[in-house]
Amino acid sequence: MDETLNLTLKGALLLLVILLAVGLPRLGLAAQVRHLRQMRRRVLLEDALKYLLSSSYQEQQVTSHALAGALDISHARALNLVAEMESAGLITSHTSGLRLTPSGESWAVQVLRAHRLWERYLLDEARMPLQHLHREAERAEHRLSREELDALDAHLGYPRQDPHGDPIPTASGVVPASQSKSLLDFPLGEPAVIHHIEDEPAALFNEILEMGLRPGSLVRLIERGERQLKMEIDGQQVTLAPVVAASIQVAEAPPPEPEREALVPLTELPDGQQARIQEIDASCRGYTRRRLLDLGLTPGARISPELSNAFGDPRAYRVRGTLIALRKEQAQQVLVKPTNQTSTPRNGEEHALTQA
Amino acid sequence: MSRSSPLPPEQVLEVADRLQRSIGDRFRDQIVESIYDEAEAISNSVVRQQDAGGVDWEQRIDRLVTSPIFGLPLMLLLLALVFWITIVGSNIPSQWLAQWLFWVEAKGSALFDAMGIPWWITGFLWHGTYRGLAWVISVMLPPMAIFFPLFTFLEDLGYLPRVAFNMDWLFKRAGAHGKQALTMAMGFGCNAAGVVATRVIDSPRERLIAILTNNFVPCNGRFPTLIMLAVVFVAAAFPPAFASLAAAGSVVAIVLVGVVFTLAVSWGLSRTVLRGEPSTFTLELPPYRRPNLTRILYTSFIDRTIFVLWRAITTAAPAGALIWILANIQVRDANLARLIADALDPLGWAIGLDGVILLAYIIAIPANEIVVPTMLMVYMGVGMMVDLPSLSALRTLLVDGNGWTMLTAVNLMLFSLLHNPCATTIMTIWKETHSRKWTMVGALMPLAIAFIVTFLTAGIARLLGLV
Repeated sequence: MDETLNLTLKGALLLLVILLAVGLPRLGLAAQVRHLRQMRRRVLLEDALKYLLSSSYQEQQVTSHALAGALDISHARALNLVAEMESAGLITSHTSGLRLTPSGESWAVQVLRAHRLWERYLLDEARMPLQHLHREAERAEHRLSREELDALDAHLGYPRQDPHGDPIPTASGVVPASQSKSLLDFPLGEPAVIHHIEDEPAALFNEILEMGLRPGSLVRLIERGERQLKMEIDGQQVTLAPVVAASIQVAEAPPPEPEREALVPLTELPDGQQARIQEIDASCRGYTRRRLLDLGLTPGARISPELSNAFGDPRAYRVRGTLIALRKEQAQQVLVKPTNQTSTPRNGEEHALTQA
Repeated sequence: MSRSSPLPPEQVLEVADRLQRSIGDRFRDQIVESIYDEAEAISNSVVRQQDAGGVDWEQRIDRLVTSPIFGLPLMLLLLALVFWITIVGSNIPSQWLAQWLFWVEAKGSALFDAMGIPWWITGFLWHGTYRGLAWVISVMLPPMAIFFPLFTFLEDLGYLPRVAFNMDWLFKRAGAHGKQALTMAMGFGCNAAGVVATRVIDSPRERLIAILTNNFVPCNGRFPTLIMLAVVFVAAAFPPAFASLAAAGSVVAIVLVGVVFTLAVSWGLSRTVLRGEPSTFTLELPPYRRPNLTRILYTSFIDRTIFVLWRAITTAAPAGALIWILANIQVRDANLARLIADALDPLGWAIGLDGVILLAYIIAIPANEIVVPTMLMVYMGVGMMVDLPSLSALRTLLVDGNGWTMLTAVNLMLFSLLHNPCATTIMTIWKETHSRKWTMVGALMPLAIAFIVTFLTAGIARLLGLV
């Protein structure tokens, strides 16, 4: 009698534990699975929207077969997805293929916005290498709510371009038009500035990065042949295949500023050489830029290298009366104009100069 | 209020959108620039600076401490000096403190006995909880009370940023931050304090690396174990003339192994889970200052010593109680501690240690100071933590009585260096990161590394027939 009671109690306890583990709101197994499935559904839906949006930019027709191929799902599943999106009023089917409705398009634009803002964040604030941005942003773009996305935008200071040079849509869903053209169509001999480097496929993107090309780099086309293009960057010639050139978008370079000619990066100043800071390179953004400015490395400030590490890196610079140590990577982004003095004046002298 | 007719909200947003796009990227720069210009103008109008004239001492000192030839040796010398003062200086106060605290224990338990309180209450409270507490305080307090003021002195002097400046190239290669050198130095005092000290690293990624690897620097609580092993085993393997040198050398070697692991794990982390550019390194090298004694004492005692001690106390007392329970519950003819140790023996053997050592490390998660006393308690089969007997008696007990070899000693040193941080440090990691995930990584990654490394050394030693 006791035995059975004991067993029943144990059984009931076990059952209770299992029930709790499965059914507990938020923490339970069932809630977790439900959450995971909802996430998966959102990812699939948003990827479909994004695909439809980019196809509509390129004026390509999208069939359910193409959709299945792009999202790497079975055709049956793609048909389900299409039906679901149609009933949600996101797309409509036409004889020419699938098309986004206005509400579908505005959602798709927000996904695009999330992707590009994430890339900006990952590069500027988390300082992730350029070639890892796209993959990380592909995952992160589905995670934020609309409010969180707006907060991210504000936090980044409403950037206009992603690290590859693509325009970032505004909160109201406007996608700014790009004025760049493909490197393949750009006139020979004209100075050009790289606006955009396509980040897919990744192998091609990495190849371009390894050549030292970045959005913002100044280039000049020298020769365009059937098989290869010759191009000048930073006084060096590089050759690239047309297929590589096709993923680079360029625009007319702004006229060169005469001032820029005399500028040298901080790293090239010899010890004790006085200089005046002219600017911090535009490629230095986000956290790093704020930090440099906060330390007083603002344009106009006087600076001179004072201490070198045994290994040459980092170096310490005297600026505004304090010693600030910088690694080579940061010092390279500070552009200065050497002044004639080579002595190392102390605060007093510097003070006298600024008053003069 | 409004002077013109109000715009509808959509248009306001539109205008704001347009304006925001026309501002350009430079407006933040301009804000900072104008603040600096303003500050400079104010300072120019009210501050007059005298030309100091003569030799610029500060610059000379800077050139010396960062020089390629003297910089590194000077740093190592200072670090060695700080250690030496700490170890030598804390010996005597530690003994006094221990004598006094254990005298209180003896009186307290005698009083309880006289009052006719059952033995197990006396044992649990006095020989368990109180003894654990007393042990941790007497081993931990004096070195910390010496190390932290010395460290704070160097900090206040302005020397420490120069260390970060000197060491940065090494950490840069590991994808970490030069200031990690400082948090590591702090870790010699206490890993929990080292973890708190990572607040000086402003980039979250590098800070997390510094937090997760701080444990590979042996703290004050682990040094006694390392020194004991060096003296009893390594020194004994050398002729007497070289014995003390060999002992010191092996402690230095194990510290260097710790530094190598710190850099290697930092490197691994920054290329896998914490991937990112070796990021912004900006470091202000402040002018040298005459240290302010009251501030040094305040910072080192209140912020560091008391903080760490309090956390250790809250975890050591329950550990002491647990140890007493394990040692005093008899199952058939052995106590619980012995039984658990026997069960852990195969695992211990696999990594060149034994079950008792593993048990001591499990119990000593709250505070590493009690590892050796707990180990000796189980080996000797007594009911409470016991002090080190004389060195020769200790050697006899470990080698002849319990089958220790050189492998056991070396692996125990490695395990002590690499294993999971103590509960205090784990709690601190949690407080600093507020992340369950990183706290788990911080606790389990070193443990896994310790197991793998000791397993490998044991395997290699056995394969080569060294043991």
